[in-house]
Amino acid sequence: MVRLITHNLLACHAKGCTTNNFPLQIKDAQLALREAEFNPDFLRGFIPRIEWAALVSAARQLGDESLPNEVPEMIDDDFLRGLHHVLLEIHIDEGAMVCPNCGHVYPISSGIPNMLLAEHEIG
Amino acid sequence: MSPPRVAVALVEGDPSTYETRYVHDVYEQIASHFSATRYKPWPIISHFLSELPTGWVGLDSGTGNGKYLPLPAERPGAVWTVGLDRSLSLLETAKMAGGVTREVVWGDVLGKGWRRGAFDYAVSIATIHHLATPERRRLAVRRLLESVSSTHGRVLIYVWATEQDALSKRSIPSSRTDICVTEGQDVFVPWVLSPSMPPQPRKSRRQEGHQSKPAVGPDTSPVPARQKFSRYYHMFSEGELRRLVEYVANDLCLPIGRKEDHPVGTSGVEIVQSGWERSNYYIELRRWGL
Repeated sequence: MVRLITHNLLACHAKGCTTNNFPLQIKDAQLALREAEFNPDFLRGFIPRIEWAALVSAARQLGDESLPNEVPEMIDDDFLRGLHHVLLEIHIDEGAMVCPNCGHVYPISSGIPNMLLAEHEIG
Repeated sequence: MSPPRVAVALVEGDPSTYETRYVHDVYEQIASHFSATRYKPWPIISHFLSELPTGWVGLDSGTGNGKYLPLPAERPGAVWTVGLDRSLSLLETAKMAGGVTREVVWGDVLGKGWRRGAFDYAVSIATIHHLATPERRRLAVRRLLESVSSTHGRVLIYVWATEQDALSKRSIPSSRTDICVTEGQDVFVPWVLSPSMPPQPRKSRRQEGHQSKPAVGPDTSPVPARQKFSRYYHMFSEGELRRLVEYVANDLCLPIGRKEDHPVGTSGVEIVQSGWERSNYYIELRRWGL
């Protein structure tokens, strides 16, 4: 599955592509919303691990404007529920992720991103 | 039924091509049956995952059917494990492991499609032994160490041992012909698909809300009487996994030892434990540093 929690971890690894290779740009996304169990404790622990600007821009690419530009100082239940939705309930079922640096395209099919490289593309 | 015979393998030609033939293609074909036989988590792995702090995110490199993605069982959802595998057929199962939608990525364990140090932990269970050369096995370990945080990343690796326990169904060739060349033993392990063990569909997936797709792959065509596949394994000898880790740590300029025993401001890796469990060698690592 590709949800934004995973997108926030992925980077381009094509040969020679070592800078500006994150975050991947989402293209032609077909989205599905699926409910997931809300786990506030997980989210509180996970927040410091998020590349926040990348998450906000990815969410906006998918048409979700709900996240603030900065992580708020007061983490309340409303914020966590909104974050939960963006990270874990928006699924990219089909589409692609494109490297902002080298333009390499990583396709997404049936919710599974293809991060394989051809032999000559491996760095 | 007599135990399957394990035969000595000789790695020839391009190792990547070799693995495609004797590992990746085999798993694509045996995926559903293989998956149905892989459900019991091993104790040390369960324990490793149980000890992780809530909110951590990790990588299961070579996740197979994703049996470790739902753990820890007593705190479901406390950590988030992303499953990586070369076999798309196995990932189709892994993405619903434990009846909950999981995050899976189609990729190679030698790849590095993550931002550096993105994960808090990484596990590699029964995967690195499918790589056909020492260089590729070292690279796989290097990728694990690179994928986790340089300040607190934890890594657990399991590989097959040449020393098999009494309960193992496999008989291992006793003679060694390559003692002076490499460590361990390259073997073929058979997998037999027969009509009595059809590739069974896993538990039904819930498809509400969207159209189900037509099944891809083998359908109603008659099943051949018996299909035998040979999977390549490199079985590790005693101490080999630890030496592999030491080599990689040295390559990454990471001293091995406890943080307390090194000057402030340096980075390193601690071997928390290593040993043998149920026909496998394992090693647990912790990165420390800035």
